[in-house]
Amino acid sequence: MHQGYPPDLSQLQAVMNAIEIACSSIQIHVNPAAAEATILSLCQSPRPYQACQFILENSLVANARFQAAAAIRDAAIREWVFLTDDEKKSLISFCLCFVMQHANSPEGYVQVKVSSVAAQLIKRGWLDFSAVEKEGFLSQVKQAVIGSHGLDVQFRGINVLESLVSEFSPSTSSAMGLPREFHEQCRASLEKDYLKTFYCWAQDAALSVTNKIMESNSAVPEVNVCSAAMRLMLQILNWDFQHNKNAKGGKNGIDVYSAEVRYEGARRSDCVLVQPGPSWRDVLIISGHIGWLLSLYGALRKKFSCEGYWLDCPIAVSAQKLIVQFCSLTGTIFPSDNGQMQDQHLLQLLSGIIQWVSPPDAIAKAIECGKSESEMLDGCRALLAIATITTPLVFDRLLKSISPFGTLSLLSALTCEVVKVYMANFTEEETWSWVARDILLDTWTALLMQADNTGQNSHLPPEGVNAAANLFALIVESELKVASASAFTDESESEFLQASITGMDERLSSYGLIARAAIDVTIPLLTRLFSERFARLHEGRGTKDPTETLEELYSLLLLTGHILADEGEGEMPLVPNAIQTHFVDSMEIDKHPIIVLSSSIIRFAEQSLDPEMRASVFSPRLMEAVIWFIARWSCTYLMPPEETTSSSDHRPHLQPQYSRKAWLTFFGEDNQGKLVLDIIVRISKATLVSYPGEKDLQALTCYQLLHGLVRRKSICVHLVSLGSWHDLANAFANERTLFSLNAAHQRSVAQTLTLSASGMRNSEASNQYVRDLMGYMTAYLLEMSGKSDIKNVAQQPDVILSVSCLLERLRGAASASEPRTQKAIYEMGSSVMNPILILLEVYKHESAVVYLLLKFVVDWVDGQIIYLEAQETAVVVNFCMRLLQLYSSQNIGKISLSLSSSLLSEAETEKYKDLRALLQLLSNLCSKDLVDFSSDSSEAQGTNISQVVFLGLHIVTPLISLDLLKYPKLCHDYFSLLSHMLEVYPEMVAQLNAEAFGHVLGTLDFGLHNQDTEVVDMCLRALKALASYHYKETGAGKVGLGSQATIYTEPDGKLQDGILSRFLRLLLQLLLFEDVSTDLISASADALLPLILCEQGLYQSLGKELIERQANPTFRSSWCEFQGSKTHGKSENKVSNSTSGRHMKCNDGGGDV
Amino acid sequence: MSDEEHHFESKADAGASKTYPQQAGTIRKNGYIVIKNRPCKVVEVSTSKTGKHGHAKCHFVGIDIFNGKKLEDIVPSSHNCDVPHVNRTDYQLIDISEDGFVSLLTENGNTKDDLRLPTDDTLLTQIKDGFTEGKDLVVTVMSAMGEEQICALKDIGPKN
Repeated sequence: MHQGYPPDLSQLQAVMNAIEIACSSIQIHVNPAAAEATILSLCQSPRPYQACQFILENSLVANARFQAAAAIRDAAIREWVFLTDDEKKSLISFCLCFVMQHANSPEGYVQVKVSSVAAQLIKRGWLDFSAVEKEGFLSQVKQAVIGSHGLDVQFRGINVLESLVSEFSPSTSSAMGLPREFHEQCRASLEKDYLKTFYCWAQDAALSVTNKIMESNSAVPEVNVCSAAMRLMLQILNWDFQHNKNAKGGKNGIDVYSAEVRYEGARRSDCVLVQPGPSWRDVLIISGHIGWLLSLYGALRKKFSCEGYWLDCPIAVSAQKLIVQFCSLTGTIFPSDNGQMQDQHLLQLLSGIIQWVSPPDAIAKAIECGKSESEMLDGCRALLAIATITTPLVFDRLLKSISPFGTLSLLSALTCEVVKVYMANFTEEETWSWVARDILLDTWTALLMQADNTGQNSHLPPEGVNAAANLFALIVESELKVASASAFTDESESEFLQASITGMDERLSSYGLIARAAIDVTIPLLTRLFSERFARLHEGRGTKDPTETLEELYSLLLLTGHILADEGEGEMPLVPNAIQTHFVDSMEIDKHPIIVLSSSIIRFAEQSLDPEMRASVFSPRLMEAVIWFIARWSCTYLMPPEETTSSSDHRPHLQPQYSRKAWLTFFGEDNQGKLVLDIIVRISKATLVSYPGEKDLQALTCYQLLHGLVRRKSICVHLVSLGSWHDLANAFANERTLFSLNAAHQRSVAQTLTLSASGMRNSEASNQYVRDLMGYMTAYLLEMSGKSDIKNVAQQPDVILSVSCLLERLRGAASASEPRTQKAIYEMGSSVMNPILILLEVYKHESAVVYLLLKFVVDWVDGQIIYLEAQETAVVVNFCMRLLQLYSSQNIGKISLSLSSSLLSEAETEKYKDLRALLQLLSNLCSKDLVDFSSDSSEAQGTNISQVVFLGLHIVTPLISLDLLKYPKLCHDYFSLLSHMLEVYPEMVAQLNAEAFGHVLGTLDFGLHNQDTEVVDMCLRALKALASYHYKETGAGKVGLGSQATIYTEPDGKLQDGILSRFLRLLLQLLLFEDVSTDLISASADALLPLILCEQGLYQSLGKELIERQANPTFRSSWCEFQGSKTHGKSENKVSNSTSGRHMKCNDGGGDV
Repeated sequence: MSDEEHHFESKADAGASKTYPQQAGTIRKNGYIVIKNRPCKVVEVSTSKTGKHGHAKCHFVGIDIFNGKKLEDIVPSSHNCDVPHVNRTDYQLIDISEDGFVSLLTENGNTKDDLRLPTDDTLLTQIKDGFTEGKDLVVTVMSAMGEEQICALKDIGPKN
């Protein structure tokens, strides 16, 4: 209906009417689908420009104008390459003129839309337009921005610039269906040639109206222009400046360095550094721009009582944000003058900002009384920005030149005030004090992080240390208050310690940094707080409800853990620098504050071994904190590795280094270490045995504490010699007490105990240790599977429980496979191979047990396969195949019947998990071909892994229905295994029988249509491998994939598509007519080339068909060229040459068909 | 098959315990539990605490394995729960009678004729369809706490 040309007035009128009706019917919700279709047809019609322009100029319906603008954008971007230069330019000019001419239109959103369309079109042609052409568009904008045509036009001009900057910035640009490089080039070009100019225009625009605003006592229209100009400046300062990122020379190296380092530290903050480079110095720094900005905002502040102005009015907010943004200015824009100019700049800003936050108590009071908090929060953000780009010393000095106190004192006072307000009205909601507290803690983190990393606390001036000490005291007070106040609240979630720690982790680590900054004061404070609470518990035992004290201890333990030790994240965390370098004066080791604090906590924890104390004091929640603390603490302090201490052993006594380090050995192997380790093990056993059903507590004990201990060999050596460890192992191996543990925890305990075997003297002893540990379990399974009435007994719940527990433990031990204990673990598994097959038969209806059986085999094979000798490999492979066959025979053709849909879907899920385990098993077997540590090659003995895996796949694939492949993980596993097999062993495919062959290819077909690009990619790789294999083989005169591969004639004379031709068709269809992700182009091209080479005839005829059907002559000719070049460029040796594939990709991608 | 023999079999069944006690904390998802005197499959377990410093309790969501109804229970995790003894036996399907009973072949060559077909239409057709197509079908009969029901169906190839 919207045939654009040649139009006559009545046609245009008709289109306009249709669109207007559609727009109004959408608004009143009458038949919206039809209305949307009408609008869409305008966007999709060829060359709708004239109609759209007509609507824009004549329609009285604002929405219709809006839609017309959108249609211009869509059509022009789509048809860009077919437009003549004049058409392009006239479209852009039209949009620009339209915006300016209707600058005072009340429907601002239409103007904004048209500006954005103009910006997108300018960007689309940016790399092709000549400088003069660009000048042409921009001069029009410039005239508007500097105010030659009045305020409204000026405002719209700034709007256009905003749209331009946002389009050219990659993070905010609109998609145009072009490669990333295009957007990058546009970005670089604008940054280099225009960004600063735009900024100057905005500056001029703002300056031109400043006087009017300052003089007036009520809102004037100039305010809009000024605030838009400041928004634009902010936007430009937010630009991700690239020019100097690569050329980061030695100049001003300190600033760059500190900025980079600090940035990692301030994790929570959204503080982005502004580094525009030296060319911006004149505009931003030297021109007095900051002075203007501050005086403007200063003037605005005085007007907040006037009509039309208030603290959160747009112009005030724009100015605030801009001022904060200037605090992040850093890098080479400042000359290398030891930071003088930067300090000057920051001081100037700070002198303006200080009124926002100081005096803190008055400001806080005003906010509590209803003043808006935005200015105060922006002040905090400014402090954060400054802290991010300066060192603590510089930060503190800034304020000293204009006030009696340093910036650190201000920060401390401000934080204290905020914490006080937070304490006074503690709620769960996010209040302003909450937000402010987070920003200010980030500021502390930014300042202290570097000091903490380098250990040079001397960076912090003494007043700063005092400020930190005061603040920490207040923080602890507030945390304790919050703890005791919330002790009885019955929260439903966030009770699990792990969750609450990660939730508070960032806050706690900020607290930790603050505490470490004043460590001399804070550690004794904590010691005192702990002992007060310990005493309170003892006094009040049996008479008073201890809950509040317990909660306080809980929170103190978390806090102390964060101060004393860092999170290891798998590595061995060192003693924090602040702690290592302090306490020089404390000479007697057992009076060392850290030792005193640590010992008092451990002694307290030890009391949990007394059943009476346990019942009255050590609630599961408190115990969680105790275990968490011990786990964290022991990673750093318990038996620290030699190298951190040995260096100091040989030094003369009087060196300060010695006294600093000597205390570190206090919990070492030769001192109290063993004693403490024994206590820890006994406490662990108590949590596992005496807290029945406390899963969270036991999870912490298993995963954090015990795993952390056995990870270190030096500790294992002592563990295996401890009586308490022996008790734990014995309880595990021979008693039923630990059966009450949750399944995953049983597995974990088994793994831990097995891993501790590495502490034995030699491999012999280690293997024996594992045998003793697991002997009882394998014997039980053997005996059990040998029983004649096993079928009846097995289904009893208590038997199921025992069997499940034992299997979990075997699985845990299997996953602890290490070269040293490999032999014992192999024996353990091989001795239960038969029982496993028997149990699989007996429990075939008990899906939970089946899954455990499969998972055990998966983990066992995973840990063992690479070590196995040929003989053992054959045994294991044989066992795996029997397992697969048995599983398959039990499940193939089985249908679950149930009334409950959720039970049916559970059954489906269980099936999926089983199959996933089986695929993992096959993948594990596959790895034998890749990594093999055995002394002889397995092939010599006749185990052909690829054959085995194909056989396995053959058994498993019939179980994998297309429905099951909808589970993403299963789908992923299946296709990665399949594509691996097809890529590495394509010759095996040819040997598959027709049914298996059909199934494999059917799933490939399914995979190619999958939504997950990774899956499609794997299928394409498989396809490429198959086709290349076939092409090479047939080239060498062999059969390749055989008759099924290519087109063949059936006996009745019907031409049948072979699989390669089928996939060629399919792939072309996908590439040309469907939406293929650009990530897949390369892989598709790689697969396409060998397919084409195999099926040249088909490809030619498909190509011809396509050309004939193409109506557009331009497309047709380019298609002919494309096809010609491709068939021309083919050659045999390109099959394995992926660059030729890449070349085709460009053609495919650029075609835009 | 004689009546006596039948009696003997059911007696042996009655002798076995119907439920076993097991600590709530050890009952996993996909395990079984008795809720409100009904055998259920556990489809969801979550733990919470009785007050901050209290002890853990488990919240179970179970689905009645026979009628598919959803049931819930909260038990302190150190307490014991009843776990039903769920037995599953495979029988070959011999016949489907008009009056809604099936005839099954037991392992020792006898027949079991006391099991009703499900009343639900979909389940009914699933069983009947396979049977009328002439496939050899094995049905799995699930029994727990004195109830029994066909719970699965397996096609072991065409009837010879």
